[in-house]
Amino acid sequence: MALPDIYTEGIASGWKVVDAAKLTAPQTMEADVAIIGSGAGGGVAAEILALAGLKVLLLEEGALRTSDSFKDMDEGRALRELYQEGAARATSDGAIAVLQGRSVGGSTTVNWTSSFRTPEPTLKFWAAEREVVGHGVDDMKPWFEKMEARLDVMLWEAQNANNSVLKRGCDKLGWEAHSIPRNVRGCWNSGYCGFGCPVNAKQSMLVSTIPEALRHGATLVHRLRVRQLQHAGDKITGAVGEALREDGRTPSGTLVTIKARHFIAAGGAINTPALLLRSQLPDPHKRLGQHTLIHPVVLSLAQMPERIDPFYGAPQSTASDHFQWKDGATGPMGYKLEVPPIFPGIGAGVLNVYSDDLRKEMAALPHTNAVLALLRDGFVEQSPGGSIRLADDGSPMLDYELSDYVWEGVKRAYLSMAELQFAAGAQRVRQAHIDASYQTSWTDAKKAIAELPLKKFRATLFTAHLMGGCAMSQNPKRGVVDSGGRHHQLANLSVMDGSVFPTSIGANPQLSIYGLVAQNATALAKQLKT
Amino acid sequence: MPIEPAEDRGLPRRDFLKVGLGFSLALTVGTAVVGCSDAAKTLSTGYVFLRPGDVELFSALTPAVVTELGAFDAAKRSKLVERTLQNIDGTCAALDLGSRQELRKLLDLLAIGPLRYSLTGVGAWNEAGIDKMQVFLARWRGSRFATLNAGGNVLVKLTSSSFYVLPESWPSTGYPGPLEYVFNAINS
Repeated sequence: MALPDIYTEGIASGWKVVDAAKLTAPQTMEADVAIIGSGAGGGVAAEILALAGLKVLLLEEGALRTSDSFKDMDEGRALRELYQEGAARATSDGAIAVLQGRSVGGSTTVNWTSSFRTPEPTLKFWAAEREVVGHGVDDMKPWFEKMEARLDVMLWEAQNANNSVLKRGCDKLGWEAHSIPRNVRGCWNSGYCGFGCPVNAKQSMLVSTIPEALRHGATLVHRLRVRQLQHAGDKITGAVGEALREDGRTPSGTLVTIKARHFIAAGGAINTPALLLRSQLPDPHKRLGQHTLIHPVVLSLAQMPERIDPFYGAPQSTASDHFQWKDGATGPMGYKLEVPPIFPGIGAGVLNVYSDDLRKEMAALPHTNAVLALLRDGFVEQSPGGSIRLADDGSPMLDYELSDYVWEGVKRAYLSMAELQFAAGAQRVRQAHIDASYQTSWTDAKKAIAELPLKKFRATLFTAHLMGGCAMSQNPKRGVVDSGGRHHQLANLSVMDGSVFPTSIGANPQLSIYGLVAQNATALAKQLKT
Repeated sequence: MPIEPAEDRGLPRRDFLKVGLGFSLALTVGTAVVGCSDAAKTLSTGYVFLRPGDVELFSALTPAVVTELGAFDAAKRSKLVERTLQNIDGTCAALDLGSRQELRKLLDLLAIGPLRYSLTGVGAWNEAGIDKMQVFLARWRGSRFATLNAGGNVLVKLTSSSFYVLPESWPSTGYPGPLEYVFNAINS
């Protein structure tokens, strides 16, 4: 059964899609609105603005990769072609691995489909503590409903064995657990969400909002890196993009000049602050690229008696918030428990062992369950997050330190995950930590965890959720943009991506971005039409 | 895995201290003493990031990290090592400048003979053998210096991930490959 490729058909029907790698002469492109980045924020904004009748230019640094190239369902290809820095992006010191998408659709092309509304305590905290207006629980409800309907967000009840471990453990211990809503239409339950959905079931930006924007006359330019926004006074006057070669990294030397009435930065919480920093935009209160939040992730590995096949089936269908809001938004660090899928390549990296340890653990993969804790950073002073700075060539670097407050959360998370895995029937459990060895009982695990050094390069640390760095606040001293995403110093610049979040979300952030951007882009469309 | 004390056998404390301050400083000291020939800075044929010295390092490291390779005959093994190195090379080349520079510092440091010996206990990569390479990894990863931990981790993860994305590695992991009914349906 050959699946039709949306883009092959769309381009044949006249969609305006430009591969900048094929440009040989300098160009000027003009539009009402230029959107930089085609992920969760850029995709939603493009659809709303194009449907409002505005001429939209959607610019993406990554390549256009579509279902035709996802048919191999191959991890190596996906890591190379769909992730930032070949899936080897990390914090500047190499201590925290950063999994972030890089192709048309951004991280939505490779995420695991978990679609949570922004938790109420987070929205309330923003209003009460960060001078954010218009995004209260009641304000946001219709926007989440709208985007859930748009992207087919539905509760997913079918559990693969990996998720069943989490559910069973929570039930045994009396911990809160819930099914995860997913943005899928006609999902085949394969588990390959992270490699680009091979059947176009995941309602990523790649197959939903971007095609709709293209049907309404938007232009998509891919393999184009926007180097700089130019400004004069309180206005962005234009942007300069450099076309990239086929490799998607090296500039070809061809420059593209972009002219637009309004500019939207939507490159995500690493690349958007970097673009604004490179452009030397006004930042009178030194907020730009500060307070970058990442939901630091730690993991616990379990050997189960039953077959888990952690690579197959919807990757995430159960989560637990038992430890998330226990002490309110600002108590000791809260965390959400979920499971990740485990494929051999990334799996080997998570195991972070070698020699016979690696051989044995890889051989045990079909019986391996992993649980992860997403730590909710950025709500208290002791968790200030990280910051973005520029390398000599203007590429972004993320600095992120873990305070004692965060490490204390890591330790509790290790304990929770081990207790849960043993309650679910694990034969042995170890932390993804260089000094951890397998323990065969909860009692032994407790003792072993107490001894683990809590240090970078000893604990395996991940992030897949990048937030902050262009925080929103009505108070220009506290934010780069206002609550509507409008830049405080530049009238025709908006930021519409996860970088506007004043704290981390406390859940996988895609629906938080969709809802917020839908609301802000709708307001912007109205302003631009009058 | 036990944590080895930093002042363990065969590794002069002096050099550990230098590296403890970061690869940059160690490299400055190293190159000042030994120098780095221009020939060593050219790329290895068929690679876009790795230089000849790096290829020697990873050729020795891969069978030490991935002992699974011992299950293949010599011809197949060398083919798989080469493809692992190609993956390592591709990943390094995909890194942004900041990470690329850090990795380059690490690899340059390991390319300087006398410094390599004092830091890793290995004289020449191609004569080291699996055991010696594993001792080197254990020392670095067990060290109390974060910089050595970082270096040991990146070498292990780069190598293991680059091998286990190869389909030939999957039978040993129990990963049957792309989910069959979906793969067949969309590729028929």
